[in-house]
Amino acid sequence: MNQKDEEKKRSLASFFHKVDFSAVLVIIGIIILFSTAVGVVLIAPRYVDTTWVSPTSPYQVQMYEIADPNFYMSSASTGGNELQYVHHLKQDFTLLSFKEFENLRIISNPDLDKYITRLQDPELKLTSKLMMLREPQGEMLEKADQLRRNLQEQKVDKKNEKEKLSKINYQILELYDPQMKEAFSIDPSGGILQDWVDKNFIILDEDQKHSYHGDYGVIYVQNPREFRIIPQKVGSHERWRYDPNGHPIADIKELTGSKLGFYSRKNLIELGEQIYAIEGCWYCHTDQTRTLIEDVVLNGSDSFPAPPSSANEYIYQKITFPGTRRIGPDISRVGVKRPSRDWHMAHFWAPKTASAGSIMPSFQHFFDNDPRGTAKNTIGIPNYRFEAIYQYMMTKGTRITPPTQAWWLGKDPIKTKQIIQGQRKLQP
Amino acid sequence: MVTYDDRPAKLFIYPAIIFMVIGMSVGVFMAFNAFVFPDYFSGEYIHFGRIRPVHVNTVTLSWLLSVNIGLMFYFIPRLCGVPIWSASLALWGGALWWFTLMIGTNSFPWGTNWGWEYAELPMWISWLPIKALFAISWLLIVVNFFMTIATRRFEKLYVSLWYSMGTLIWTTFTVLVGNFAINWLPEGMSRVNASWFYVHNLVGLIYTPMGLAIAYYFLPKLANTPIYSHRLSMIGFWSIAFFYAWVGTHHQIHGPMPQWLQTTSIVFSIWLFIPVWTVVHNLMATIQKDWSKYLQSAAIRFLIMGVIFYLITCIQGPTMALRNVNEITSKTDWVIGHAHISLYGTFTFFAIAGVYQAIPTMEQKPLWSNKLADWHFAFNLWGSLLFLLSLWIGGFLQGLMWANWADGSSYAEFHDNLTRLPFVQTVSDMRPWWILRAIGGTLILFGNFIFAVNIYNTIVLKATEVSETPEAVRVRV
Repeated sequence: MNQKDEEKKRSLASFFHKVDFSAVLVIIGIIILFSTAVGVVLIAPRYVDTTWVSPTSPYQVQMYEIADPNFYMSSASTGGNELQYVHHLKQDFTLLSFKEFENLRIISNPDLDKYITRLQDPELKLTSKLMMLREPQGEMLEKADQLRRNLQEQKVDKKNEKEKLSKINYQILELYDPQMKEAFSIDPSGGILQDWVDKNFIILDEDQKHSYHGDYGVIYVQNPREFRIIPQKVGSHERWRYDPNGHPIADIKELTGSKLGFYSRKNLIELGEQIYAIEGCWYCHTDQTRTLIEDVVLNGSDSFPAPPSSANEYIYQKITFPGTRRIGPDISRVGVKRPSRDWHMAHFWAPKTASAGSIMPSFQHFFDNDPRGTAKNTIGIPNYRFEAIYQYMMTKGTRITPPTQAWWLGKDPIKTKQIIQGQRKLQP
Repeated sequence: MVTYDDRPAKLFIYPAIIFMVIGMSVGVFMAFNAFVFPDYFSGEYIHFGRIRPVHVNTVTLSWLLSVNIGLMFYFIPRLCGVPIWSASLALWGGALWWFTLMIGTNSFPWGTNWGWEYAELPMWISWLPIKALFAISWLLIVVNFFMTIATRRFEKLYVSLWYSMGTLIWTTFTVLVGNFAINWLPEGMSRVNASWFYVHNLVGLIYTPMGLAIAYYFLPKLANTPIYSHRLSMIGFWSIAFFYAWVGTHHQIHGPMPQWLQTTSIVFSIWLFIPVWTVVHNLMATIQKDWSKYLQSAAIRFLIMGVIFYLITCIQGPTMALRNVNEITSKTDWVIGHAHISLYGTFTFFAIAGVYQAIPTMEQKPLWSNKLADWHFAFNLWGSLLFLLSLWIGGFLQGLMWANWADGSSYAEFHDNLTRLPFVQTVSDMRPWWILRAIGGTLILFGNFIFAVNIYNTIVLKATEVSETPEAVRVRV
């Protein structure tokens, strides 16, 4: 062993001996002060302030945990410009309603009759039994024709003769039990908000099938119709399109496979959050409506101020982007202020054109080239990155309260308007 | 007579200077391409959101943190009276450090941003655990410094060593919280809070103590006079240790944070005046004995200007934490100005002064050109002033424009204000200030280019004749 090594060994052994009192004091003092601060400002708050970990409402929980993972959308590159939105229905899990409207009537076998919410029914009937609607088939066809005629005659009886010309075209659908554990239903709206009911409803199951069915309000799927497709040739490409008479989707693998290319909304939102980080959106856009009049006005609608952000809005985000600089507008309420997919497409393609005076860079890598140049506009075909960032943005401000209590409808759960108009002071 | 092995110091300082010029070039590019001529060069890999983290991480990690570590490799052995504990450990650590940073900080355009402010380095790039490698190389440095201090010959610990020890511990824990522990916390505000804790401590408990250690070491060396009061510097040290870790939440004033937490951060922010005044008074009183030295040496000018900027930044900081001031300044360019005066105006100026003293000493020859050093200072000072003032004034005016929306007493009035002055208008009104900022940044960049040339020539060229004029002697300590 050479001398140098020995020296080092000695120095290690005598570390505490050689460090004099003042140096020990430095180290101990720093650690004590630092850990006190960490305890109070980093660890304590989440136990003191329950909103840091508890959700805003059952609506928020059900959106993130029940709806998003079971809501799928196609992408423009596989599904064409008309995106398809599909619910993944599961027996004993997804709540369904079969609701009649003035010009939509439902017929069924007598044993399924109790699941239909008739026009005059006071309560919305929900069930987790997997059933769907379809065009009447077989003997039901005759029953439907009969019903249609009856309805049209009734209408004519009530009104005078002149209106005979404008016959109302009643849509009659058949409720049937497909005897499946899971199925896929098409959602024609593809909305940002999900159907939600929190009063005058009843769940017709014998016992509670899933814990969320016990919440004071529930998300449900209304009048599901099976998602079916037929193959289609576009040039030399094998494509597909929605067709009510096509073949049904076998399983989730087929839906998310390379041919159909569906993504769940949950995946898209998570991906959108990553893209938001990667693209550095958060360097210019804050994500918080502060408790300041200028913020609730900036993010508010024409007639109602936006409620300031609360801690529990963010509990489903792995990364949260409160932001330090506002070079572009705040995004914490963008799902309400700018819900239009078309607007966002045009804006990401050319921000300076879409909103004059903006200095935002264009994000044309959110679009693929249109190989045949037949699209209706000059914008490329939005790819999954656009869908992801769009879905992520659409969660902003739309999930604070159930839609029935939404602030943009003038419901004011925390009295924002009253506070900024009256005392001009926001409560803590 | 101890011979100091300065290879580790050089390994950190030399590349750091190159990265300063690179990082600032990226900054100037952004000032033009994102603000003056927005999106002139456009595309996936070059737009503002992907380039900004390259600038921020290059100047904070590859320049400022690295040069500070390099200077610590220079002065810690000299204050301890022993060579560095293990030069080979330092060299291996340094190699790992640069390997990690060069890959990490330049990977952002290819989509590796981790998403938390100042913690953008990715967890993984392919099979490379970038964050972990960074942490390991830092720990190697920490071990080395502590062992050097433990085996020192000089019994008394000079204040720079106190600050160094503090920063070694603080940096370790702060980096741990902001880069790793943040993922173990519940999603939402807990993580945000940890992130602000990290962001603020990065400046307050890493760059501040490092910068002050440098200032406390190099000012007496450069001016050849003892420090004014060792006791005062101790008060400054302990008050930093006590106050800084509490103030992170002041980045979220008016945000979705509980009021008690906001108030706590504001109170501690105000108390930060104590360490600042002790430091400023101590350093100013040191040079007070002979102000002519300020005129003679560019290095001293950098250091003293740094102290003045430190005073300004630390008056701004606590004031911005006040709720009513925060309403105007927060989320505007004022904040960007504030970030630059602390990391650029103060701590980069300190580091430059340190480099001007350390390089000639390590190379044992005088600085290549004092004239260029004078120009370097002139460009930096005037560039900084233009840069900072334009951001402050522009940001403040933008804050006032936003506050204008709150003028009135009914929602209809508020909304009407917003209709008359839409958000995007307040952005386009910033353009003149952004032009001035870009010019200021260009001046700074040019100055630092001169600096890099000067240091390069000092290292590479043969020393010119050793003249005994005071001008030449002043840098040979």
